[in-house]
Amino acid sequence: MKTIFLAAAAAACMVTAAAAQLPPAEAAAKIRARQHNYKQMAAAVRSINEQLRSGAPVLAEIRTRSRLIAGFALQLLRWFPRGTGPEAGVRTRALPTIWSNHRAFTRAGAVLVVASRNFDRAARGGDVAAIRAAWPAVTRACAGCHDDFRAEEH
Amino acid sequence: MIPVWDLPVRLFHWLVVLLVPLMWWTAEEEMMDLHMLLGKTMLFLVLFRLIWGLIGSSTARFASFVRGPAAIRRYLRGEQRAGVGHSPVGALSVIALLAVLSMQVGLGLFASDEDGDYAGPLSHWVTFDTAETLAERHEQMFYVLLGLIGLHLAAILFYLIVRRDNLVTPMIIGARPDGEGAMVAAPAWRLAAAVALAGLGTWMIVGLL
Repeated sequence: MKTIFLAAAAAACMVTAAAAQLPPAEAAAKIRARQHNYKQMAAAVRSINEQLRSGAPVLAEIRTRSRLIAGFALQLLRWFPRGTGPEAGVRTRALPTIWSNHRAFTRAGAVLVVASRNFDRAARGGDVAAIRAAWPAVTRACAGCHDDFRAEEH
Repeated sequence: MIPVWDLPVRLFHWLVVLLVPLMWWTAEEEMMDLHMLLGKTMLFLVLFRLIWGLIGSSTARFASFVRGPAAIRRYLRGEQRAGVGHSPVGALSVIALLAVLSMQVGLGLFASDEDGDYAGPLSHWVTFDTAETLAERHEQMFYVLLGLIGLHLAAILFYLIVRRDNLVTPMIIGARPDGEGAMVAAPAWRLAAAVALAGLGTWMIVGLL
């Protein structure tokens, strides 16, 4: 199952990698759109953390967020067409390694697809212990990609 | 020797000296769980000091050392000798340091990092964007704190070298060789009350550790 997802994500990404350079205005719009999406994901991560830290997590709260993260994870690799790196002239912390080491970037994206899907499935199940157990893989996937493909702040 | 600082004031002072660099370091190293635990300790300490400023020993009380501009001018012109405890100018430093420490703790309570991995215990009261902005202010406010600490250390050096007055030893042992008047110590039950109140306040704000 895992390999199917990895392969699917990789294939989806290769299609986008082949796409031509974007005109600057379009690149800027793409960057802003993905930053907006990331912010929504971060807010969802914060809410899930908050629920899981509390003694009695509200499952409905977790489920809306887990769905958002799993959904965004599937699109995420398409948010980075060539030309939306630092060369676009918009403030972005996307590192050039996203495109120069695209295979590793794709792999990192696929890790999130799998982890967020597992977590979403656990959230739908309702076993709190299973939900808790599935969560660290998601945040690790976020951090794993940020470590290699996102510039440090400032 | 004349008593000048009681034990609670000295303990508060040196614990802050210990906590500030530790909190900077845990933030730099992204040891956020420890950072937040230390932050809750800082919240307790600041609450305690504010309460102790109302009911503590004479030299700990804000009413005993916070002075208006006229008194500060007289002190600066050397017309008014200060009794033991904070001078009218030192009072400004105490107020500024306590204010910035309070703001730092306050900002931290509501802050969240940009990825949503770590959030202050009250961060769910504000939107994600606000929490992120507060995290930036939290970072910037640290430099304000550093500036004030720099001023504080410069003043201590000035007193040591120019005025030949060692302020560090009294902050350790609680007494100084000379001075006008002496500290009137608060009874132990007041200390117990202040600790209990600060503990209650901390618990009400952030819950149990």
